[in-house]
Amino acid sequence: MDAGSVLQLGFNALSLGCAYALVALGFVLVINAVGAVNFAHGDLVMAGGFLAVAAAQIWPAPGILILPALLVIMAAMGVVLGAVAYLPLAKRPPSAVFVSTIAVGIMLQNGANALFGAAPRAGPALVVPGHWTGAGAAFDRQSLAVIVVSLILAGAFRFVLTRTQLGRSLRAVAADAEMARALGIDARLHILGAFAAAAALAGAAGLLLSQRYFVTPTEGTGLMLKAYIAVVIGGWGRWGGAVLGALFVAAFEVLVAAWLAQPLAEALLCAAVLAVLFVRPQGVFGETHGRRA
Amino acid sequence: MRNVIAAIVLSSIPLALASAAEPLRLPIVVPITGPLALEGASQRNGALLAIEEGAGGLELATEEIDTAASAEAALTALARALSRPNVLAVAATIFGPQMLAMMPVAEQARVPLITVSGTARLTELGHHFVFRFFPADPVVKLAQARYVVEDAKRSRVALLYQTTAYGQSGRDALGEAFRKLGASIVHEEGLALGVKDMAPALAKAKSAGADVLVLQLHSGPTALAVKQAAAMKLGLPIVAGSAMHQPSTAALLEPAELAGVCAESGSAPATGGTPELERFAAAYRKRFGSEPDGFAAAQYDGMRMAIAALAKGARTPDAVREYLAGQSHQGAAMSYRSDGKGNMAHDAVIVCYDGQSRTPRLAKRYANPPGAR
Repeated sequence: MDAGSVLQLGFNALSLGCAYALVALGFVLVINAVGAVNFAHGDLVMAGGFLAVAAAQIWPAPGILILPALLVIMAAMGVVLGAVAYLPLAKRPPSAVFVSTIAVGIMLQNGANALFGAAPRAGPALVVPGHWTGAGAAFDRQSLAVIVVSLILAGAFRFVLTRTQLGRSLRAVAADAEMARALGIDARLHILGAFAAAAALAGAAGLLLSQRYFVTPTEGTGLMLKAYIAVVIGGWGRWGGAVLGALFVAAFEVLVAAWLAQPLAEALLCAAVLAVLFVRPQGVFGETHGRRA
Repeated sequence: MRNVIAAIVLSSIPLALASAAEPLRLPIVVPITGPLALEGASQRNGALLAIEEGAGGLELATEEIDTAASAEAALTALARALSRPNVLAVAATIFGPQMLAMMPVAEQARVPLITVSGTARLTELGHHFVFRFFPADPVVKLAQARYVVEDAKRSRVALLYQTTAYGQSGRDALGEAFRKLGASIVHEEGLALGVKDMAPALAKAKSAGADVLVLQLHSGPTALAVKQAAAMKLGLPIVAGSAMHQPSTAALLEPAELAGVCAESGSAPATGGTPELERFAAAYRKRFGSEPDGFAAAQYDGMRMAIAALAKGARTPDAVREYLAGQSHQGAAMSYRSDGKGNMAHDAVIVCYDGQSRTPRLAKRYANPPGAR
């Protein structure tokens, strides 16, 4: 394989990894907020993709213009998810939340199937179609836009978490909800805020993925699994670890698959996850609170 | 678990055969949800259209039951269908593993299953109540390979297939066909359903020196491969499996991305070609507001043949089976006749896109491809 092909594949992997990183960040946000896995997270990505498809039918504008409205709608969906599938079960063991979020995920899948049909659908282009060529590779504008939008959203996410009172409160709830309550922080409100932000990130990822990779009602499960693997590799609850884990997953999907074969790359990724679990079960960057769900 | 469900199914059958005053029932037991929902919806629409068209004064009834994604769900759905009285034939799932689970139950209940599943094994197991109206892999894959070698004049094949039963069954049939035709497979790669980026496989195909890309992928992955091949300017002609002839697959792509792409199918109703097929396509569009595909046409034809049996006096499932097994039928897509194993369809077509629209033109028709039967 020539250098141009390798460069092309590297660019593809970076673009895919950036979208996966948004999925993984939302996934980690809920883990940190409630200490349980939201198994509907992949289906929220799917829902974001279908919302983008529907929005583009109503208003055929570039995806970048649709994104703000989509973030708001998805955040509202996240609040509903948190209120229905988490808060009533907050005092129960984490397995109750697993089951309730799995149930919500199935409802989302069947709802999308009923509303949009089973056929794959293509979301709106993020920006005006086109590409630049150089060094033997074609740099597609959509893929570049995915990278840029992902970086902006991830940067905004980091800014809110580290530089604002809201972020500090969220991290306080994540670290110790009881102590946060004792300090006057409304933990329930912040938990719902975490679900909202996670769903908004998932929806954004759905929009970013839907044009280049399409969207189907059943694809959420696979995305959920990728987020899970990214978080296990990066460190349970680690923001930076989740991003690097997502890039690692995409690198396996594209670069290792190009070097070997796709099924072998998938097997090696699973082997890498097992190796991490055996050798460094807390993940490459360690766990934030030592409470793996 | 499957045996328990089968026992429940069989215990309900005497009740099902009880009444002759009931309408003649032709239930539709297909995947409406799950990964095969797209193809299942085509099946459902084709069967429903056939039943709604009726047959003279006969009182026909149907119900749609979702087989979802598992063999267990399919058995439960079949149990529900067979629990009704006067069930004379069943429009049965396209999903091969579900068909394999349903066939022994149908055999014992002596109720014909009318399917469009392409899985070759279905008609190799000695069951007498399975009738397949979509050409099986040995027919369509041979046509696909012949088009590559004889018409496109290509001999160095890169084959990308899905790592599902559908993909592997097609891969085996294509491998055998290319061997017989003297073409070599220079690159072969299995792809899981969840693969997002096809670029690695496409780059390897090019590096291996292939002069044609042959796809045996489901709908979404087929569109992904075609889209990414166009984006990479791969420069290889693509001859895809039947997923590419589906209008819903073409709808994912820009016409320019489809330039030089061909696909096999049993028929291509959106393309037309015969008055019968065009009449079916027009009725389908009017009823469902969407373009029909080859699965819908095949399921429609299968159900129309069963209804023809009813119109000629068949009033038991055995009588319907005898008709399906022994008679020929001129359908919308082609002429059907059993080969003695329940394979009813023996023709295949190749359609190609010209890069100007999403409606392909008929490139080649293979009637009873030699060596396919």
